[in-house]
Amino acid sequence: MKNTWNNQSDKTQQENFTSKIIDQMTQTKYNSKINRIAYPEIIGSAICVLATIFIGFNFYKLDTIFLQGVGIVSILVLLILSIVSILSIRQLKISKDFNKPYVEVLKIFATQKLEFYKLQKINITLSYLLLVTIIILLSKFFSGKDITDSKYFWTFSFSFGYIFLVFFTKFVTRFYKNTLKKSEELLQELQP
Amino acid sequence: MDKKDIFISAIKENESFIYKIASVYTNNSDDKNDLVQEIIYQLWKSFDTFKQKSTLSTWIYRIALNVALYQLKLSNKRVLTIPIDEQILNTQGTDNSEDDEKWKIFKYQIDNLNLLDKAIVMLYFDNKSYDEIAEIIGISKTNVGTKLLRIKEKLKSQINKNM
Repeated sequence: MKNTWNNQSDKTQQENFTSKIIDQMTQTKYNSKINRIAYPEIIGSAICVLATIFIGFNFYKLDTIFLQGVGIVSILVLLILSIVSILSIRQLKISKDFNKPYVEVLKIFATQKLEFYKLQKINITLSYLLLVTIIILLSKFFSGKDITDSKYFWTFSFSFGYIFLVFFTKFVTRFYKNTLKKSEELLQELQP
Repeated sequence: MDKKDIFISAIKENESFIYKIASVYTNNSDDKNDLVQEIIYQLWKSFDTFKQKSTLSTWIYRIALNVALYQLKLSNKRVLTIPIDEQILNTQGTDNSEDDEKWKIFKYQIDNLNLLDKAIVMLYFDNKSYDEIAEIIGISKTNVGTKLLRIKEKLKSQINKNM
């Protein structure tokens, strides 16, 4: 294996970087991909904030205490979701210190991964809650009707919500099971 | 010699390792080239933070490995492992040399290691001393020795299993 590794060195000599390319890259023209990564999180946060503003401006249309409660819950969930997004960008920025020893970066990433999967479950639950509250609010804002007067709405949203949450939680757990296991094992190995 | 000249000559001296890290942490030539560029860019950006506590080469290795790790996390891609038979099948009828096939088999074995072991074994193959590996990775010299023994055993058993 060592020979294969060393033979690869001869190959890389053939495709090496010229000083000119390095020269171009060290200019500001080069756009680092790492800086572009936060865009989806920023867009997500912006959408949440815009939705919050929209609900805020139309809050006067909510004429019952129940609907006002639904409006407040929606605003809170949207704010929590945007705060979670901003925190995840902040986490990325904090860990972006390439001078740290490799093992420290690994520890940070493994810990972040475990925290991320916990957050995913909370996010899914909150997103479902938001889906229900947004349907109630949109129906009121755009057609002036209180959809919650319909008994079918509650039967449907609770039964569907329960099935959705059970399946999604199982899916998330199964999907990330191996990654979680690997992160946990790696963290254990990194313990001094 | 100005800052840029020092940087360019340091990159030239260590480019082989940068390319090999990029090959190990990615699966296609586009991603590989992107990673090489990202490593060089981040090295240039961090060049002022090099404090000469370690050698320039040790510092480059550390930054390169960390950028590769960071890129891997951000791209959210696991380095996919292709079953060995499939890899060999894919190379048949192409102009790939024997070295390319050996490299693919090598990569397959390396991909089965966790990210810590992968970095240690790459540095070992690159003839870094235990002291240097310990400094780059951030573990003790004794730990490097113990881990290398385990990694060698793991690689041996993987190879035997595939034969």
